[in-house]
Amino acid sequence: MSSSSKRGMVGLALVIPSFLILLVVVIIPILYAVKESLIDQHGTGYGLANYIRLFTEPAMRRNIIYTINITLVSTALTLVISYALAIYLRFGKGVVVKWIGRLYFIPMFVPGVIATYAIITMYGNHGWAARLLLPLGIETIPRIIYDYKGLVLANLWFNIPFATMLLSSALASIPNAVVESARDAGASTMQLFGRFILPLSYKTMWVAVTFIFMGIMGSFTAPFLIGANSPQVLGVAMQQVFSSYQETHTASAMAVFMFLLCSFMGYFYIRTMVKDADAG
Amino acid sequence: MFGKKKMSLILAGVLSLSLLAGCGNSGKAATTTGEAKDTKAGAAAGTTEISLYTGGSLNVKELWETLIKDFEAKNDRIKVKLVYLPAGTGGASTLDRLIAAKKSGQTDVDIDLYEGSLDDITRGAGEQLWDTMDAKKVPNLTNVDETYLKQVNNQAIPYRASSVVLAYNSAKVATPPKTADELYTWIRQHPGKFAYNDPSTGGSGSSFVNTVIYNFLPPEAMNSNDPANMKKWDQGFSLLKELGPSMYQKGVYPKKNQGTLDILASGEVDMIPAWSDMALEQLAKGLLPDTIKLTQIDPAFTGGPSYLMVPSLSSKKEATQEFLNYVLTPEAQKVVINKMYGYPGIKWSLMPSELQEKFNSVSSGYRSFNSGELQQEIYKRWQSEVAGG
Repeated sequence: MSSSSKRGMVGLALVIPSFLILLVVVIIPILYAVKESLIDQHGTGYGLANYIRLFTEPAMRRNIIYTINITLVSTALTLVISYALAIYLRFGKGVVVKWIGRLYFIPMFVPGVIATYAIITMYGNHGWAARLLLPLGIETIPRIIYDYKGLVLANLWFNIPFATMLLSSALASIPNAVVESARDAGASTMQLFGRFILPLSYKTMWVAVTFIFMGIMGSFTAPFLIGANSPQVLGVAMQQVFSSYQETHTASAMAVFMFLLCSFMGYFYIRTMVKDADAG
Repeated sequence: MFGKKKMSLILAGVLSLSLLAGCGNSGKAATTTGEAKDTKAGAAAGTTEISLYTGGSLNVKELWETLIKDFEAKNDRIKVKLVYLPAGTGGASTLDRLIAAKKSGQTDVDIDLYEGSLDDITRGAGEQLWDTMDAKKVPNLTNVDETYLKQVNNQAIPYRASSVVLAYNSAKVATPPKTADELYTWIRQHPGKFAYNDPSTGGSGSSFVNTVIYNFLPPEAMNSNDPANMKKWDQGFSLLKELGPSMYQKGVYPKKNQGTLDILASGEVDMIPAWSDMALEQLAKGLLPDTIKLTQIDPAFTGGPSYLMVPSLSSKKEATQEFLNYVLTPEAQKVVINKMYGYPGIKWSLMPSELQEKFNSVSSGYRSFNSGELQQEIYKRWQSEVAGG
């Protein structure tokens, strides 16, 4: 046996356990869900009835549009705010920056359910926000809980710390020398951002976008507790279809559809990474 | 090269399999020794151990822990092992296990007592899974209202109950509605001050929806799963739709039974349908302000008992009957009331008069509702017509 084939065998043996785990916990369940989703809810025949239902039933269509809308809006807002925050933390100076730098990731350690209840007690109809504004003569605050706004707020709350952390580490690796020499050459702040900072943190930005997108797409706790009754995000609707209506096949179709939405995002992510690897 | 690859694949496969098998074996060995120890200890002291399978919320577990402790203090020959499966983690599989044991012709199971719902009784009855309850063997069975026993063909004991009632803020509502129609009028006159939870997420909301729909149908329809009844739902659903804009925040239906209790406690609404046991417990613990009062309307909201069944395959029936006999004593039933704020499984007249008085506002009764799979159709139609309408 040549030493190269020996090494190949060792390599293969090392990869196989993780591949088997992947096969058992990811690939087989996905294939199983696809198979389940093709079984007709009423009979035993195979067909696309569940998918047709997904896109023709008005309530379900509203749910899908609502989910995509809320995911895109929340992702975009999270990205803009985290980018601004990360840049502020990287280039700003002073006590405030130091304290924000110490505190901004705290929400990541708060469990989702507790955070959601905190949002309810803060922004609910008779919540803290309403009570604090009362002395100022403001008697009614806009409806935040059980509304689109509340969900976007919750998504921002959950995702900004994580995205900021990722972007901060990317920005930290930009040498001060680059920034300073660009400044010396007369680059404006916008030019500095567009020509240097963005390209140098572009890859990390995609990582952040991918994770935020997938996280929000599959979110459940906050939408379940503070979302409206209709339309609902797909995670909540799926739970309802699965356990309240006990239509497991339709729920599988919804799961597969969500998986496709996320893999669409994953495709762009991988393409960027590959391009980057080729270039580098 | 390819052969070697294949070889290594097989090798790795065998390796991981043997690893898995190893885990399985050691796990099994541990349980076997554990069981052996139990039996030995049991035999030495001359005691019988029966196992009680139950599910539901944490308060059910706490109730049984208290009852078992009291029972074992009085009876040193019988030990009760509590197997508690929290809601949604596999209570249904206990029933599946029993049915499988019966079908495969086993003669003995280690489940001596099973707490379940009306649905479980019906499912098990088809398989002749349950023992018939006999007052000769469980003398205190005479404490239970006979009509409740007849409803389930003496195959189960309704040992405690609760129902959905109307919870209202007495500081804001001086005279609560007495009938269903008065309630609907009240909702229309006080927009935003009434809420019921999304029916698919909790029983109090679904009781409200079911009563609205079935008040337009003959009484016997409430316990029928005849799909023909679906055609008669239109009146109820149009009433629900009409009430929608008068509900909390013009049609927000919070999630779960607790969702509505929370907004009642914070003063956002003045009236909600709520489970009697949940509301009473939270009143006692101060989670609900003491201005909150409970009442039942006419026709009543739905409710129902929780049942105890003895699997016919159980081999420790005598000990089980002794325990059941204890559960049906007024003394044990007092624990049901004080600890769970439930209704007793035995006749109210056998309970101490101060407890009878305390529960006066809610003990006026309830209607049972069991329409099988039609319930899911109600949820679906509610979601598309009332929530999405």
